[in-house]
Amino acid sequence: MSRGRRRSERADRAPRSRRRLPGVSGPQHPSPVPCGEDVVVAPGPLLLAGVQEGPGLAVHRRRHGLLVPHEEGFPDAEALAVLAEQVRLRGRGGAGFPFATKLRRVAERGGRRRPPVVVVNAAEGEPASHKDAALLRTVPHLVLDGAAAAAHAVGAHEVHVVVPAERHRVVTALAAALAERRETGDPADVTADASPLRWQVHVAAPRFVAGQESAVLELIAGREGLPVHRREPAAVRGVRGRPTLLSNAETFAHVGLLALHGAEPALAHGTAEEPGTTLVTTVLVTQDGCADPVVREVPFGTSVASLLPVPGATPEVASAPVPVLVGGFHGAWLTAAEAAEATVSSTDLARFGAHLGAGVLLVPGTGVCPLGLTDRILGHLAEQSAGRCGPCVHGLGSLATAFGEVTSGREVPSGPVAELAAVVVGRGACAHPDGTSRLVVSALQALADEIDAHSTGSCPPAESRPFSSPRPGSPGNPGAGEEHRWAS
Amino acid sequence: MGLLNRRAQRGGVTLEVDFSSCRAAGLCHELLPEVIGLDVWGYPVVDGAPVPPDRVREARAAARACPRLALRVVEA
Ligand code: SF4
Ligand code: SF4
Repeated sequence: MSRGRRRSERADRAPRSRRRLPGVSGPQHPSPVPCGEDVVVAPGPLLLAGVQEGPGLAVHRRRHGLLVPHEEGFPDAEALAVLAEQVRLRGRGGAGFPFATKLRRVAERGGRRRPPVVVVNAAEGEPASHKDAALLRTVPHLVLDGAAAAAHAVGAHEVHVVVPAERHRVVTALAAALAERRETGDPADVTADASPLRWQVHVAAPRFVAGQESAVLELIAGREGLPVHRREPAAVRGVRGRPTLLSNAETFAHVGLLALHGAEPALAHGTAEEPGTTLVTTVLVTQDGCADPVVREVPFGTSVASLLPVPGATPEVASAPVPVLVGGFHGAWLTAAEAAEATVSSTDLARFGAHLGAGVLLVPGTGVCPLGLTDRILGHLAEQSAGRCGPCVHGLGSLATAFGEVTSGREVPSGPVAELAAVVVGRGACAHPDGTSRLVVSALQALADEIDAHSTGSCPPAESRPFSSPRPGSPGNPGAGEEHRWAS
Repeated sequence: MGLLNRRAQRGGVTLEVDFSSCRAAGLCHELLPEVIGLDVWGYPVVDGAPVPPDRVREARAAARACPRLALRVVEA
C-alpha cells in the first residue's frame, strides 16, 4: 500500500470484522490438525538417544554424566558461546537467532547486582508441533541441564519454564522431573553461592501466539500471556526488567549437550555449514483429523522426502507424492517435486522460499485437499490473532476470506488476496501476521495447479477419496516398529 | 518522491507504530498525510523509510498528538 492515501479514500473502508460471532462461545475454527497428545518419538542420535529407557534422572545421568557447575572447565558465558558458535547453534523456536549472540548480550548486560534470568520456552503454541512436548516427556533433564548450564554461565539464579496448558502430560512430566532434581539435590542445580537454582513453572493458555517472546514475558510478569509491542529484546529487558536469556526448549537441550559433552558429538552430524541435528515433527493430516504425529531427531541435510510417509503405505497416505507444508502453520508449501528434492537445512529450504520454522512437516493424506487444509488453517490463524493489533485482527480475517474466494474459484490468485497478504506484513506486535502472510503467498505459488483445478470446479484429492471411510485411529506412518509410542 | 529515493536518504528519523495500542483514530494520517498512509481499516501505514527532512517536525508533532501514544519517532 502506498503512502499518502487521502482521507476521502477512507469512505470505502471495509467494515470492521468481529473476531467472534456474538452469542457464540468457543472457537469457530479449532485447529484443523487436532492431534492430541499421542505422539510417536523415534530414538535419535544425540538428544533423543535412548528415549526408550524413560525420562528419569538416574537414566539421564548414566547416559550423560553429571553436570557440576563449580568443577574446573565448566563453561562460563564466553566458553559456552564459543561452543554454540562451533556447532552454529540457532534458536529452534522458529526465528533461528544465533544462540551465541543472545548469550553474550545477556552476559554483558547482567552482572552481580543485576543477575540475568533464564526462560525456557516450551509453550509450543503451534498445534501441529510436538517436538518440545516430546523433549519434556522423554528427556526432560537434558533440557533442564541446558537451562541450568546457561544460568550458571550468565550468573542467573532463577529459571522459568513455560509449558502449554492443553498438553497435560508435558505439565506433569516437567513437574516430575523438577521434583526428582530437588529430591536428589542434583549438583547441576546449585549456584556459585551454594544456593539452589530457583525453578519456576508457568502454564500458558492454549493459544497459537502463546509462545511468542513477548507473550511469554507477559505471562511470567503475571499478566495474560498475550504478545505486546516491545521496544527492546528480552536479552536487554526481560523478566522484571532484567537481561533475560529466553530460548526454545529444544535450543536448551542442545545447550545441555554442549555443556555435558562439548561440541564433538554435534560436529559428528549434519553438514559443514549446518552441523548437528534438529527435531522434526511429521504430521499426516487425514480426512477425520490427524494420525499420531512422529517426532524425529535428524541431522541437518537429511532429505525431507525420507521423513514423509511412504506413498500408499496405508489407506490414509496418498498413493502419489503430495505437496508438503514445511514449517507449520506459519510455514510454506513445497510442491511434491520440491519436497522430493529439499533437505532439512535452512539454506536449502530458502531456495524454495521456505524455512524450517519449528520443524513441522504437514502432509495431506488421502482425500485431503491442500487448498482446503490451507483454508482451514487460515480460519484458525485468523481467530488466533490475539485481538490486539488492528491490522492483524481485521487483516487476517479478510485474508482468510479472500483466500477462500480463490480456493472456491471465484477470484484469481493475483486479486485481493495478494494485496491483503502484502498489507498485513510487519504490522502487528508479534510475528503472527507475517507468518500467516507467508503461508498464503506460498500456497498461491506452490498450489497453483490445485488452484487451476478448483477454478474449473474440480478437486483431484477430493475426487480420489475412497468410498469407505478410513479405519479410525489407524497409524499413518511407516516404521512404527522401532519407535517409542507414547499412547495413553 | 518515490520510495527508492526515500530509502536512499540514510540517517533520517523513522516512524514506528505500536499496533497493539493504536485504535485507528487516524489522527496521525490527518496531520501528516504525505508520510503516513491509511489501510482500508483506518490503521496507519508507515513503510519504515526515513521521514523526509522537511517533514520531521510534523512527524514529531503527530507522535505527540497520538491519543494512544502508539506512534513513535525513532532516531537513527
Ligand atoms: S500481531 Fe496479531 S497475534 Fe500478534 S499481538 Fe497483534 S493481534 Fe495479537
Ligand atoms: S494517531 Fe495514534 S492511535 Fe490514531 S491512527 Fe495514528 S497511531 Fe493509531
